[in-house]
Amino acid sequence: MADSFLGFRRAGGNVGVRNHVLVLGINGLAGAATRRIGSAVCGTVTVATPYGRGQVGPDAEIHRRQLIGLGRNPNVGAALIVGVDRKALDAIAGEVAKGGTLVETVALDDVHEDALALTDIGLKKAAQLVRHISNQRREACPVSALRVGVECGHSDATSGLAANPLVGKVADRIVDGGGTVIIGETLEWLGAEHLLARRAATPAVARALTEAVARREAYPASLGIDLLGNNPGEENIRGGLSTIEEKSLGAVAKGGSRPLIGVLEHAQAPTGTGLHVMDGPGYSPESITGFVAAGAQLVFFTTGPGNSYCSALAPTIKVSAHPQTPGRLPEQIDFDGSAILTGGEAADATAARLYAQALAVASGTATWGEILGEGDEVFVRVGPSL
Amino acid sequence: MRLHPDDDVAVALRPLASGETISVDGRALTLRAAIPMAHKFALHPIAAGMPVRKYGEAIGEARTAIAAGDHVHVHNIVSRRARKSA
Repeated sequence: MADSFLGFRRAGGNVGVRNHVLVLGINGLAGAATRRIGSAVCGTVTVATPYGRGQVGPDAEIHRRQLIGLGRNPNVGAALIVGVDRKALDAIAGEVAKGGTLVETVALDDVHEDALALTDIGLKKAAQLVRHISNQRREACPVSALRVGVECGHSDATSGLAANPLVGKVADRIVDGGGTVIIGETLEWLGAEHLLARRAATPAVARALTEAVARREAYPASLGIDLLGNNPGEENIRGGLSTIEEKSLGAVAKGGSRPLIGVLEHAQAPTGTGLHVMDGPGYSPESITGFVAAGAQLVFFTTGPGNSYCSALAPTIKVSAHPQTPGRLPEQIDFDGSAILTGGEAADATAARLYAQALAVASGTATWGEILGEGDEVFVRVGPSL
Repeated sequence: MRLHPDDDVAVALRPLASGETISVDGRALTLRAAIPMAHKFALHPIAAGMPVRKYGEAIGEARTAIAAGDHVHVHNIVSRRARKSA
């Protein structure tokens, strides 16, 4: 058998690397009750959107896509979906269930707006779900079942020199094994888009990519805002990055070198395998939620000086190649790639170690972020509430 | 460390002192400023307004004339992209 890991096979044919019960709040009016249910039941992960009403057009659509996508993530064995009105709740729950997730629901409508009664029903349902899915066992699954997001945050010049190329080598290996890799942060293709476009599988993909960068570049300019002073940010500049082009040229290396199969919208699941780009924000919490809502079970997150943010649903492997950072943050950085820069290890050998660690994490080895509860999911909005 | 043969800058793999003479690809170069780790320095003179290359690609342009051995950073190079005036 080719390279494999131990995962949870789902009804929809996907494979989870974790077996979470997700307590998913789909409306900010029930956010506190959602969190109360999640905190009362061990073995659950809570994601509660602060939004969910008064959204229209593309803003309503992107919010809905993020909620459904998180519910369908293969790491979710079962979901308790908490809402306000039955109609909106059933619409979301129905779509989540279509992805193969076991779904239960509870609505404030059902309990005459009594948030404590909602909590009582919700926590019993969540407890039942935890017990039920604990019967599932891990099985050997091929690398082709992996969908991986690649992200960088608080980059410095060591990110572009070593950590991102290192993740790129692992991304190539996952793509070559039949898996899927998603790279986002449209603004950080700026200055490197010609290199990405050259790798596009079709002219249409190259055009979509170039247009996505142009839209993202035009937006701050249309508001009279200069990108200088915003990106690269303070941490980037301290770390030796001078311009967005320099940051981008280093950032795109984490996507590896394989052909670019498609351009995804934020939180849009790819229909095939291989390397995809997601047209989305550069802010890591939003970007990573886009990957996870697109079905990524695992995330690689490179950093120079450190960055504790993780996905709540997808184990997030922190990689730094800064010679001091892994020693300074031993309970944050999962993988030390600095030996590439200090001359102690060939890049291919370091990449082989990272690949092996990724398969171990996919099989159940805990990341520091999971152990310390650093995970969250953050929703993108693209328009004002009515 | 020079990342690409076309590059105008190299990257310090350790903090380098001003006045230190180092060898990059077999050529001696005396630094005109302290270079923090992972920061860039010029391998040859770069005229104001000329593109500055790293990874073999333009990362911006020189705001002022840059001498060989100068620290190259936000004080003397600037992005060509996503500018208000662009």
